[in-house]
Amino acid sequence: MSAPLPTVEDQRDTATFEALMWAMARPGTIHDLPEGLSDLILALVDRECKVMVDDPALARLVATTGATLVSASLADHAFCLSADRALAVLTALPGGSALYPDQGATLVLPARLGQGPALRLSGPGVDGTCDVRIGGLPDGFLAARAARCRYPEGIEIAFVDGRRVMGLPRSTTVKVL
Amino acid sequence: MAYVATRGGERAIEQAERLYRQEMGQITADRVAGLRHALPLLVDRVMGEASLYDPDLAALALAQSGGDLYEAVLLLRAWRTTQPRIAIAAPVRLEELFTHRRISAAFKDIPGGQILGPTLDYAHRLLATEVLEGTPFTPPPVDPAAHPAPAHQPSLAAWQKAEGLVADRPSAPIAPDDIPDVTREPLLFPAARAHTLQSLARADTGGVLALGYAAMRGYGNAHPTVNELRLAEAEVMVRHPSGASFSAGRVKVSQAEVTSKGKSGLLELGFCATFGWNEVKVIAGATLDLNAPGAEKGSAVEEEFVLYHTEPVEASGFCIHFKLPHYVTFQSSLDALRGAKAAQPATEEVPA
Amino acid sequence: MTLATLTRPWAAMSYGFLDASAKREMRRKIIKAIAVPGCQMPYASREVPIARGWGTGGLQVTLTLIKPASVVKVIDQGADDSVNAASIRRFLSRVSGAAETWDTLEATILQSRHRIPEERLRDDQVLVLQVPNPEPLRPVQPNMSIARQMHADADYGRLWLVLYEQMVRSGRIVQGAAYPSLVNGRHVMTPSPIPRWDVPKLHMAHHLTLLSAGREKRLYAVPPFTRVEPLVFSDVPYQVEDHAGLTCHRSGLSGVFMNEIPQDSGGSVFEASDSNLGIKAIRQAEGEATKIGPMWYENGELRP
Repeated sequence: MSAPLPTVEDQRDTATFEALMWAMARPGTIHDLPEGLSDLILALVDRECKVMVDDPALARLVATTGATLVSASLADHAFCLSADRALAVLTALPGGSALYPDQGATLVLPARLGQGPALRLSGPGVDGTCDVRIGGLPDGFLAARAARCRYPEGIEIAFVDGRRVMGLPRSTTVKVL
Repeated sequence: MAYVATRGGERAIEQAERLYRQEMGQITADRVAGLRHALPLLVDRVMGEASLYDPDLAALALAQSGGDLYEAVLLLRAWRTTQPRIAIAAPVRLEELFTHRRISAAFKDIPGGQILGPTLDYAHRLLATEVLEGTPFTPPPVDPAAHPAPAHQPSLAAWQKAEGLVADRPSAPIAPDDIPDVTREPLLFPAARAHTLQSLARADTGGVLALGYAAMRGYGNAHPTVNELRLAEAEVMVRHPSGASFSAGRVKVSQAEVTSKGKSGLLELGFCATFGWNEVKVIAGATLDLNAPGAEKGSAVEEEFVLYHTEPVEASGFCIHFKLPHYVTFQSSLDALRGAKAAQPATEEVPA
Repeated sequence: MTLATLTRPWAAMSYGFLDASAKREMRRKIIKAIAVPGCQMPYASREVPIARGWGTGGLQVTLTLIKPASVVKVIDQGADDSVNAASIRRFLSRVSGAAETWDTLEATILQSRHRIPEERLRDDQVLVLQVPNPEPLRPVQPNMSIARQMHADADYGRLWLVLYEQMVRSGRIVQGAAYPSLVNGRHVMTPSPIPRWDVPKLHMAHHLTLLSAGREKRLYAVPPFTRVEPLVFSDVPYQVEDHAGLTCHRSGLSGVFMNEIPQDSGGSVFEASDSNLGIKAIRQAEGEATKIGPMWYENGELRP
């Protein structure tokens, strides 16, 4: 028996996940997605998921996965293109519980990596500290995140800038410099 | 290179597998078909535990495993993993079952009637040894009843509910497509009702019997009466993307409902259903379901205890995994043990 | 829409065996596991073509990560050619076309049962540990629902008590392998039944470790640069196996974890448990050009 070959979808999804996995395992580092934000939808969600999305085109893509479209307070994954809404979504998303930390949601949103305020990250995955810049976030976003991340409860955030992705798991401490 | 020479694991496993398969001999489509027709109840049992309804594949699994049921179930479950899900069938309603056999021990007669159907219950279990001496056993023909029993039968519990005798389990309405699936999400406790019933449906027949029997002997709180036992066929109704509903075929199912008087003064019900015809499993499973509510943590009828320990693939796999080498863990324990021995004299000097 | 749009052409097997939906679930859970180091995340755990208890958890993680460019190393008790390791490695390459290796330095994914290689893992490597029992509280609480509540409350008192009782009774902690360890200062995990020798290799490591129990359906992770602290009393230091002074009778290696081989004449000889490291050492001694990477332990001492 010869080994099966990955389909184009297999390759894209595996590459997407590899980028996201390392982004979450090493907060502050930047990894490349095959195409962009929509890759994350295809690699992560399907009919077992409840998804919040604020963009009609992305909503159509999510619908093809079989996932149920819901409001942020019920979602396990949120894809929020509008910076105006990001704060409300972050505040509403489930953060899990000490009993079930896995029920904390994953939030994907666009950002400008390498621009904006300087931040100092520390925590698991970071060798000491790591300084990054994340732009395009609404005011108060990081404070709201800190309030939502009552470890081990919390929310994972993937910032996407074109094809680039940076991860911010709940275990990361962020200090605004 | 001497290091490698003494091991040679790759060749060993290859030859060990060949040795096993050599014993089984050639597997042909005819042999598989023969097994399917000769051993329908074994095929049913394997399909139930595999939670995969396909008598041909089940017979193939039996042929490949030489009848080792745990191996056969694992083969089918692993194959099941690779299959995409293309539709979700509509829930099966009791009244819609095409019923072959339906009995109740709770009443002498019941609405719809007692239907014995095919059973060995009242047969004398005598071996037909003449077969081995060359005289084939030919089953005597069945004399059909003057009036065939109706194919569809009402539910006895529905009558009991109408009479106000049965305590209804609290249930939240759920859309058929949203019923949780234990093969696609983890089993957590307290378990979703669907997860409990699915786990029992997939459970090891022998394991369910052992624990169910323990409950029946008195290790449970409730003594079961068989309210209704059915062997039936169910239509698998699926929806075409165009919206039309159609039958994708029929599957054999068995189900049991057992009852006992609960603390509330009403009857309580325990339920179990599975693919294929397997009466022992559904009666024992329903007994466990009846006993689970309120059972003490860690008791032999508590839900977590029952569902974890009757999972055939997990239980058998873990059992045989003890054949794997464990010399690293053993070495680590040995080191701690020697260390403790060396430390011992010092502690003995401590006054008591 | 037709039925055909919902399905796909029949294929005997998906790439990497697991279907797309199974992989998506694994991906979602791996992300959560990384986000809360050491915390057991429940997952559905599909059946795979090897028996439960034989590495099905590790296998599902590896199958999720694997691609044709991957290079996989599989070890059982430290050995690449032990029968179960050989079987899993053969399955992995059969369903993915990934390359196989015995060399720790060449591997991109290392799946292991009961050992962590002696050569340091790099930041581009993923270690997948097979876990038989993911619950460090099992010895004090077999009921998983109660144990979950204890993790939620960070209620590890009974675990400490067990270690304390061992100290009192035996003069030392007699826990062998699978030494319970506090991860990121919050969750106690079992590092899988690796010897105590290997636990410090997880602390502030460069590589990513994913631990997966297929039968028990739990997955957890130790990201790089994460604190992994064996539970010890402040006045009783953590003790690894007393192997620092032993020498491998085949390769001459010392300062590594050893297998003890009892002798007919009484007593024992020792051989390096990391079998491919032993092979490389022999090759080097025979003058072959073989690279041995930096080691976690040097002269029997853990290097910072």
